[in-house]
Amino acid sequence: MELLTELFPPANFTLLGFILLLPLLGAFVNGIFGKRLGREGVTLLGLSVIFAAFVGAIITYAMLIEHGHDGAAPKFHFMAWNWLELQGAGNGMTFRAVPLDVAFSVDALSGTMVLVITGIGFLIHLYSSSYMAEDPGFYRFFAYLNLFIFSMLVLVLGDSLPVLFVGWEGVGLCSYLLIGFWFNDDANASAGKKAFITNRIGDFGLLVAMGLLLYYVGALDWDGINAGKNSLLQPVKIWPVGDEVPIARFLPGGLADVINAPRFVNAATLVCLALFLGAMGKSAQFGLHVWLPDAMAGPTPVSALIHAATMVTAGVYLVCRLSGVFVLSPMAMAIVAGIGAFTALFAATIALVQNDIKKVLAYSTLSQLGYMFLGAGVGAFEAGFFHVLTHACFKACLFLGAGSVIHAMHARIHDTETSQDMRNMGGLYKFMPATALTFLAAWAAIAGVPGTSGFFSKDEILLMALTSRVTGPATISGGQYGMVVENFVWPEWYSYVLYGMGFLTAVLTAFYMSRLVIGIFFGEFRGWKIVEGWIDPHAAHAGAGHDTHAALAAHDAHGSADPSHAGHADHGHDDAHEAHAHPHEAPGVDNMDGPRPHESPWQMTLPLWILGALSVVAGLLNAHLIHIAPLGHLLEPIFAGASKRVEVSELAHSFEWMGAALAVFGACAPGVAVAYWMYVKQGGAPARELAVKFRGVYSFLQDKWRIDEFYAETVIGALDALADMCVWFDKYIVDGILARLSAFLVQLTGSLLRQFQTGRVQAYAAMTVLGTLIFGLYFAMPHAEVHEVFDDSSGSYKLSAAPGLGYKYRWDIDGESGWDRGDKFGNQTEVAFQLKPEEQRTVRLEVEGPFLVTSSYERVLSRPRGEMAAVEPAAAEPQRLKVRPARKAPPIMPGTQVPAGHPTLPNSPSAAPHGAAKGTH
Amino acid sequence: MTPGLVLFAVCSLLCLGGAVVTVASVNPIRGALGLLTTIVGIAGLFLRLNAEFLATMQILVYAGAVVILFVFVVMLLGPTASLPRDAGRRSLYARAISGGLGAGVAVLLFALLSSSKSHDFPIVGKDHGTVEAVGRQIFQEALVPFELATVLLIVAALGAIAVARANPSKTVKKPSENPTLRLFHGPLLARDAGHPLDGRTLEERHEGNSEQRAS
Amino acid sequence: MDTTVESYMLLATAIFVIGSIGFLVRRNVLVQLMSIELMLNSVNLLLVGFNRLHTGNMAGQTFAFFIIAVAAAEVAVGLAIVLQFYRLRGGVNSDEATTLRH
Repeated sequence: MELLTELFPPANFTLLGFILLLPLLGAFVNGIFGKRLGREGVTLLGLSVIFAAFVGAIITYAMLIEHGHDGAAPKFHFMAWNWLELQGAGNGMTFRAVPLDVAFSVDALSGTMVLVITGIGFLIHLYSSSYMAEDPGFYRFFAYLNLFIFSMLVLVLGDSLPVLFVGWEGVGLCSYLLIGFWFNDDANASAGKKAFITNRIGDFGLLVAMGLLLYYVGALDWDGINAGKNSLLQPVKIWPVGDEVPIARFLPGGLADVINAPRFVNAATLVCLALFLGAMGKSAQFGLHVWLPDAMAGPTPVSALIHAATMVTAGVYLVCRLSGVFVLSPMAMAIVAGIGAFTALFAATIALVQNDIKKVLAYSTLSQLGYMFLGAGVGAFEAGFFHVLTHACFKACLFLGAGSVIHAMHARIHDTETSQDMRNMGGLYKFMPATALTFLAAWAAIAGVPGTSGFFSKDEILLMALTSRVTGPATISGGQYGMVVENFVWPEWYSYVLYGMGFLTAVLTAFYMSRLVIGIFFGEFRGWKIVEGWIDPHAAHAGAGHDTHAALAAHDAHGSADPSHAGHADHGHDDAHEAHAHPHEAPGVDNMDGPRPHESPWQMTLPLWILGALSVVAGLLNAHLIHIAPLGHLLEPIFAGASKRVEVSELAHSFEWMGAALAVFGACAPGVAVAYWMYVKQGGAPARELAVKFRGVYSFLQDKWRIDEFYAETVIGALDALADMCVWFDKYIVDGILARLSAFLVQLTGSLLRQFQTGRVQAYAAMTVLGTLIFGLYFAMPHAEVHEVFDDSSGSYKLSAAPGLGYKYRWDIDGESGWDRGDKFGNQTEVAFQLKPEEQRTVRLEVEGPFLVTSSYERVLSRPRGEMAAVEPAAAEPQRLKVRPARKAPPIMPGTQVPAGHPTLPNSPSAAPHGAAKGTH
Repeated sequence: MTPGLVLFAVCSLLCLGGAVVTVASVNPIRGALGLLTTIVGIAGLFLRLNAEFLATMQILVYAGAVVILFVFVVMLLGPTASLPRDAGRRSLYARAISGGLGAGVAVLLFALLSSSKSHDFPIVGKDHGTVEAVGRQIFQEALVPFELATVLLIVAALGAIAVARANPSKTVKKPSENPTLRLFHGPLLARDAGHPLDGRTLEERHEGNSEQRAS
Repeated sequence: MDTTVESYMLLATAIFVIGSIGFLVRRNVLVQLMSIELMLNSVNLLLVGFNRLHTGNMAGQTFAFFIIAVAAAEVAVGLAIVLQFYRLRGGVNSDEATTLRH
């Protein structure tokens, strides 16, 4: 141990780097070189990296336990590299530069998760090596699985929210890739897409939470958040946005006041709700749960790993990790618990009427996830987290067992939907004892049979739901900061409601799980008539019994109306299959003949045994009831800070055993008993009668409460409408105006201009003459240009007008109004006059051209004082306008041309010393 | 009424009259003669302007070469040199517009001229406009343009020959392989001499002739 | 009253305008060429007239001399083109020279 501590000091725990890198390496190599490595090579590589990571996880855990003896929560850090630094974040209190580093850390919470991930991950890898053996995408599958393990490890080992987010997105991506693994089928690809997009909606919440945390707390790593989380206790005005609601102006006074009254919430509430939105997306709580049942389109090991054991628990992990922040907001916790409980109940009701075994398990996963959030929401983080652990064990076992059963059914029935239908199974206990036994062990755990892991964890949650509540600083009026931050008190009745919902869910869980088990393993086999030694007449082609789903699309469709099945042409090995056509036989003892269902190979049953055993005994890790709780002991310091705000009533101790008994005899036993009576004794008749009698309710439940349809109508419908609008805009406005209209205009201009191109020289010459005429007009118009010569010493001005063809001139230089020599135009081109010092005179000239058009020119000329040097023309201009005596320049007559040198034009070239008025002589 | 004035008046009338005849006559021979009249008139005016060398050049080159060239071509084209005067609407438009444009230019210039001051001619010495004076100018200041004008004339001659060559056809190649020599071969047979410049090829001409002979 | 330079200007203008109208209006290529000659002559007249007014050098007459030379060359080439045109179109109607039409 000392050697290990020396090798991997807690401050620089490089073992984390190994644990992370190995699966990534496996993914990389399998992905790129997988085809060349061959099946055995890929399997070896994929399994060994996960096993090595598992060994690393065990070592880490051992070291954690060792270091944790003194009661403090041990935490090992590993900093990989500096990533970015945000230049200043946070508000006044917390403003500072925030470094975002790629850093990892492990403590008891994440250590447990790592064990679960790598351990169960390894078992599932082993399982898949046999389950996916016939699939042409084998190496791709292992690459994705390894990548998933890597991403999940990044998620739980991340030391800060951004790194967690990287892992978060990574598992979302792998989920998409793996759900849509058999992407040739449109339904599978759509399911993958749905999962990713629904996750994304949740991710928005996570990003908003990161932003809010940056603003209020100024840090994003766990240590920083924990240190600064009290800054979240600020009221935030969420209503009205701005100062008032605009509509309120039109409403009567009282109503307007009510509408305009500002509402405040705790900043912590906003952060927690945003975080919970992310958790809802990832852990499929009610509202964003729609992807999980569809995700069963992926291969069964994927469902086991991702949608039972690991990815969906990321949300719970997040809540537990940030428990310190969550307890600051009782309102958010109440919402978490409420939604969790509702999800549990809601999913259980749907699972009652499903016939596809994977769907039943999917809804059961949803239900158990609801339990986890219920536990975390009331403040019992330990209980919620423990349920994560036990759920991973028994749900993975259930899924793998289901996979084993489906594997056996595929020997005869190749269609996806029919081979998974419970109604075609039954009595498989005789044929697949290993699968059956382990499945029963897991069933016992989920139903809550006393002594199993599920019993302990579920019982704990139910107890805590009844007795625990989050008090938090915000409900104390006065509070720690002397203000009421939020007016929310955990209601008394709420705990009873939560308990009731949880209890009812437990009853339903026991019932439908028993129904499932009975349907699969007991009774008579309903799939086909078992003929010993039956050989598939079309088994000459590769891999008879264990076709991939992709190939199965060719001989298709009992009850599968998927039109996309028709269009397949591209399966790897399928040509032979499509050449023969299986007759469309309906499964049933009377219709089909088939072989004995067989047990699965050891690679599949070994994980089943291990997980089954774990389902039974893992409860002892945290069995508070009988006071054996090593895991709880380890996790205690982590939730210690949060527990300060959680109030557990006295009822917890007194009601302990009573609650356990209630759970067993009130929930588990009745559920199992009713299922037994209904399906074994009565052979399923009462279920059918109920289905007929309550047809509305039955179809409502079977249609999953029609949430998907609701979304399709509202959200997706709105998006479709928006898309339609955009298409219309693109087609008619962008294309129509920008493209077609401009093209039309150009064409129009072109066809107009084309008329000029007659090809005849005379026409061109005529146009030349026309141009010359127009040009000549310029010369025909008179231009009045005056050239001035100023003699400083004598103050005399000589003005000469520019000559031109046919010009006649008349001047006015004598300072009196009216032309000098009457109104007649003459030929005088030069004039001269003299100015006394500081005298100004306005000079005018009018030129008449040959067509009797006149143009005039006007200037004010002055003689400056002797010692004044050249005055800056720019300064002179405005001064002149201000100081000029009453005689202003008459406005330029319209229709005449203003020569370029005219002073009213901005760039008058001859501004200097001649035309300046002086204000400061 | 000085003789100079009379000369000016007569020559102006000749010029204007010749110009109008050139522009307005249907028969191009009349047009060429009108041009000749204008040129002679201008030569007369040159004389009045003390430009005797130029007057001589005018007569020699313009009247003696350019107009002759025009007459040659008109004779070569024969009756097809003149066009029937058609009274189409399009030509009416064209004429109206062009007439208008021209008139516009005229008005412009007349207006410009009418209101300006008059400039009288100064008295010049005897050697203004003599051969020596002009020659001095040409061979001193304008030597390079003079040489270039020489080149221009050579090029123009060659160009005229190149442009006006008959279209080469296979049968004409027969008499000589050397394309340069062909330039100097006229029509090969006497019977082609009557229709020198139709747009027809040699075969077509022979057809016409054989038809004639047959009939 | 004697002739001034303005009278020569007027006369030259008149000949020029007549020549340009003739060029623009007539369709016969030969007449067009002749009109061009008219315009050139009018310019010559103007040049010589101004040279008579500004008697420092003989630049005007030299220019006119060159114009005569160039006009001669131009007429030669122009008439060769007319001959080719005649061969192509069978007539001398300039309205048929529309190969450059759109």
